[in-house]
Amino acid sequence: MTTATLAPAARTDVRRREASLGDAIRWETRKLRAQLRSKALLIGSLVAPIAVVVVVGAQSRPPKDSLFGRFSTVNGFAMALLVLGFASQWILPLVTAVVAGDIFASEDQHGTWKTVLTRSVSRSRLFWAKVVVAIVFGLLALVLLAAATIGASLLIVGHGPLIGLSGQVIQPSTALPLVAASWATMAPPLVAFTCLALLFSVWSRNAAVGIAAPVVIAMVMQLVGSLGGVEAIRPYLLTTPFEAWHGLLAEPRFTGPILDGAATSAVWAAVSLLAAFLVVRHRDITGG
Amino acid sequence: MTKTAAVGAAVDVVGVTKMYGPLVAVDDVSVRVAPGEVYGILGPNGAGKTTLLRMLFGLIRPDGGEIRVFGRTWDEAGVHTLDDVAGFIESPKFYPYLTGRQNLEGLALLDGSGLPERIDEVLEVVDLTGRDGDKVGGYSYGMRQRLGVAASLLRSPGLLVLDEPANGLDPAGIRDMRALVKRLAASGLTVLLSSHHMDEVEEICDNVTIMNRGTVAFHGTIDDLRAMAPDPGHVLRTGDDTQAMSIGRTRHPAVGVEHAPEGGLVATGSERDLAAYVADLVRAEVPLLAFTPTRTPLDALFFMLTDARPDDVHLPREKQVVR
Repeated sequence: MTTATLAPAARTDVRRREASLGDAIRWETRKLRAQLRSKALLIGSLVAPIAVVVVVGAQSRPPKDSLFGRFSTVNGFAMALLVLGFASQWILPLVTAVVAGDIFASEDQHGTWKTVLTRSVSRSRLFWAKVVVAIVFGLLALVLLAAATIGASLLIVGHGPLIGLSGQVIQPSTALPLVAASWATMAPPLVAFTCLALLFSVWSRNAAVGIAAPVVIAMVMQLVGSLGGVEAIRPYLLTTPFEAWHGLLAEPRFTGPILDGAATSAVWAAVSLLAAFLVVRHRDITGG
Repeated sequence: MTKTAAVGAAVDVVGVTKMYGPLVAVDDVSVRVAPGEVYGILGPNGAGKTTLLRMLFGLIRPDGGEIRVFGRTWDEAGVHTLDDVAGFIESPKFYPYLTGRQNLEGLALLDGSGLPERIDEVLEVVDLTGRDGDKVGGYSYGMRQRLGVAASLLRSPGLLVLDEPANGLDPAGIRDMRALVKRLAASGLTVLLSSHHMDEVEEICDNVTIMNRGTVAFHGTIDDLRAMAPDPGHVLRTGDDTQAMSIGRTRHPAVGVEHAPEGGLVATGSERDLAAYVADLVRAEVPLLAFTPTRTPLDALFFMLTDARPDDVHLPREKQVVR
């Protein structure tokens, strides 16, 4: 090492300003932007739907057994809703869990809890900064998926009138906001799955568990929700709000399931975050 | 409300205990570090040093006792307890996908006031200028250790806490790290340093606490420690161990001569008595093949204090009093 000397900083007041939530969010965002995985996920959210639309649109036989599948090869709005149905079942929980399931566990993996918690930032601020960044990332991925899907569907397949779930004809000027709104109804359950992934990330301290567990839970809930005789618990399953958009495409329109789904998602999110917060707040940092 | 008044000590640890189930990691430990002091916490692996320092940083909650840092406790001041403190626990860890500079910039962000203009300055101090644009994933162990010191200095602390800073470094790295710590201490910084190397503590520190199995085995100055150190032992290799032992026992009662487990003899005694004994061996024409110190007196004391249970170690009563 050199013999350079360090000029002492002005020590007039040893009371240091605590890092704000904004500081912590900026830090978490910088880290996320530097990670290849998050960039790849966002690019994938933009590119993959285009590929799906191209491939499905080129099929000679449309997937008639799927919701809006019958018209998906001839109507762009139907195609966007077909992709929505598929994405809500299999893609969205995974997309959001890739970041949320890793964001706490990676601190354990790199042994960096002790690095950040010995600065002027509290555990609470760091916790909420990670929560905000994970949720914003999940929503950003949803926006990109939606924009890419709708845009590609309309440009590649076409934008004629849409046949609704009650057989009604929906003019393109009405269909576009309804399709966009249908994608928007994914936001509450997506946020709830984000919070669930955050909980697993905190609890397991393992990124693989944090990412895989919400996806597995989503699959199990899909399976349970599809069984008969489970009407009593179906409203409380976190996958049920993913189907709430159906009412927007019916005649007459109904939005009750969307509100119920938002409430269910809020409860799942709140419970997950509370549990995660308590674990972070009280755990001993012994590793790293 | 943060307490800043009545600051008598940089660190005041009183009766701190930490348990993990039935295991007592730290048992009723008290340590007081005065401002401007270079204080060593010494002990073998598993002695409780790191647990104690983690509690100081608020990473672990003690089950009992109180820790004040410049008069502040975690319960009262929260994260402001560390306002004037920096350091690292065990090996410093960073984000491998970020560069050294990006890591420091991020940590400055988490320091509130930031002081990002000091980044170049601290990088120069630890000799990482020119490597700050490289990703930390490609850093050597020693470079990460130095980046850890840079990250600590970025906070321009009044108290620098270093947990085994020379651990894992090569001899040149150890020499440089010790020189850096001494230079920082000379600038008036209070330094709390843990180590399991007696020579490191002896070289750098003014005062020392020796821990063993979670308890305090010794508190005092390095001079106190030296005064308690046993006579040095020497390995003696001769061409005739029987005659050498006989000469020792008959003519030099002040020198203890025993068979060494690994072969040869071990002679213990004051330097003067040992010199006389060796001279006698030469006069008696006992072939003398080697005469080398086993370990330094302080090392010997360290092993005595930490190999045995503290209760079994006979220390003068006043040496066991918390300073």
